[in-house]
Amino acid sequence: MSVCRPARCLFAKSSAAALPKPASSSQCRTFTTTPSRPARRRPHYPSVKAADMTYLKEQAATKHPDYAAVDEALLAQKYTPSQLAAIRAAEAAIDPRDLTLQGKKRNDPWKLPYDDDLSHVDGVIDHADKLHGPPGRNKRARAREASEAEREAALGLIVNEQLAKMYPDGLPADPTPEEEYQREQAIHAAVQQAYLDPRTSFWADDAAAWNSLADPRHSAIMQELPRIDSKVVQATATFEGQEVVDERQQRLLHQLGWPQDTNLRQKGFIHKAIVQHFVSNYTRLGKIASFYVLTIAGNQNGLLGVGEGKAVDSEEAVAASISNAYKNMKPIPRYENRTIFGDIEKKLGAVRVQLQARPPGFGVRTNHLIFEIARMAGIKDLAARVPRSRNKMNVVKATWEALTAQKLPEDIARARGKKLVDVRKVYYGGSIG
Amino acid sequence: MSLVNLAHVCSHLQNASKARLGLTSIPVTKLHVALMLGLQKQGFISSVTLGGPAPPKPVLLQKPPKYPPALLKAAEQAELEAEEAATPEVAWGRAPEWSYKEVVPANPGQRRLWVGLKYWKNEPVLNKMHLISKPTRRIWVNSDDLAKITRGRESAFVKGLTKTGECMFVTTDKGIMEARECVEKKLGGMVLCRVI
Repeated sequence: MSVCRPARCLFAKSSAAALPKPASSSQCRTFTTTPSRPARRRPHYPSVKAADMTYLKEQAATKHPDYAAVDEALLAQKYTPSQLAAIRAAEAAIDPRDLTLQGKKRNDPWKLPYDDDLSHVDGVIDHADKLHGPPGRNKRARAREASEAEREAALGLIVNEQLAKMYPDGLPADPTPEEEYQREQAIHAAVQQAYLDPRTSFWADDAAAWNSLADPRHSAIMQELPRIDSKVVQATATFEGQEVVDERQQRLLHQLGWPQDTNLRQKGFIHKAIVQHFVSNYTRLGKIASFYVLTIAGNQNGLLGVGEGKAVDSEEAVAASISNAYKNMKPIPRYENRTIFGDIEKKLGAVRVQLQARPPGFGVRTNHLIFEIARMAGIKDLAARVPRSRNKMNVVKATWEALTAQKLPEDIARARGKKLVDVRKVYYGGSIG
Repeated sequence: MSLVNLAHVCSHLQNASKARLGLTSIPVTKLHVALMLGLQKQGFISSVTLGGPAPPKPVLLQKPPKYPPALLKAAEQAELEAEEAATPEVAWGRAPEWSYKEVVPANPGQRRLWVGLKYWKNEPVLNKMHLISKPTRRIWVNSDDLAKITRGRESAFVKGLTKTGECMFVTTDKGIMEARECVEKKLGGMVLCRVI
């Protein structure tokens, strides 16, 4: 018996009905490799009802009507016959029904900044206008070294051009001595410019070709790319590689129990690798060098974490230390959200860290490592001393332990059985703290 | 007024706290007694008891007389005693309302001051205790200095009270008291020790 036979065949009663029937046509074994066609062939497009089509036509006619005779007359006043012909051709190229169905105003940041004004050339969107014949293409446009007379003529032209740029309203009629001096300076500058201009040294018979010699695109120095000023575009711009999902961050967010679309940077979370060095493990087979990184992370508002990472690959080590820093984040008690509760001292290894609370506006005047820690934790007023060893790793760890292990006045009062009253709440109506 | 012995007491209390002892003893002097009462007032220690070389019986474990004995007639007393014999001896968790007499040795040399230490959330309440005046260099401060010190400034070569919950004890004409109390009462004196 075949294993493929279903079990119900076994348990079925042996009667005439249980006898094997001839297989239906669909289960019939095919003798070709060509896949069989389904029973009913479906059209490639959904069938459109006649009523819908009429409605669409009506809509298209009302929304995008043809030009009336009055409109044509008005257009003829504004455009030349060839432009009119182009407009008509453009109108005919687009079906008004398509326009009704699909045409809508763009709302994305990449939309064109104009609707139909093509007089302006946009440096980003449009192609730059062609250079008027690169020198040497045809005989008239070919540039050659200028003769003495041509040079003089060119100089005069260019100086005039420059002066026209500096004095768009023309030279002052009766100048004061000061204006006279300024004018002389301007002429001097214009002459200097004219000598540097390539049009002085080379001449082309074709005026356009001659003018194009001064085009900055002929310059050997690369032009600066045009910039997009829109902030929306800058913010939403995506580059190659940025689209790649960071699996490590996804895992970190999952471990922290935060939603996957959390933007850490937007929420004020920052991190920084502040200690990095090579370490080596001496084994009997030799030294195994690896990279050690210590990263601090915080939300600049009372959360602080310190994480270590070690790996043979430096990138791996950095990434591991960052995720450890985020995972180790703990709240830091802050007095008035700006400084610490009283002075703290912590000793770790040979490092002794003394942190002192300071009044508002004092700033963070500390060792650079403690400064970074205070920045991540959102402590604004702090003084610190590291009187003994200044081992970077231990300074960071000692500071982190000192900050997290602060004793709160309420806890001390509770332990001593004292009643504690915050007088600031009385004086400032509870607006502080 | 031996500051040497006070230094020993400071160290001993720190050590006892680190060792998580519940009860410890120090030599009896008037200075120690006054300072310990000051500490108790500030809530650093739970009890101060005069006793002998052996620790006093824990108060709550002692058999409490139900009424002051003087008020009881002899007959009633006998009856009550019979009643008490039937009831369980321990009154757990109740504040003692009675006074009891601890046996204090007649020989002053054998007397000890028994101090009950406090702990909160697995941490000692009294963490650190250091002398400020030293046996070789005693420091006297006036109330102005004390006002500065309690505000966290250094004055009269005494560092300010800048740590959270830091206390300083000063011996004055009116007895040993905390620095802030002295400022309130405008008293000066010799600074003894700082306690955290």
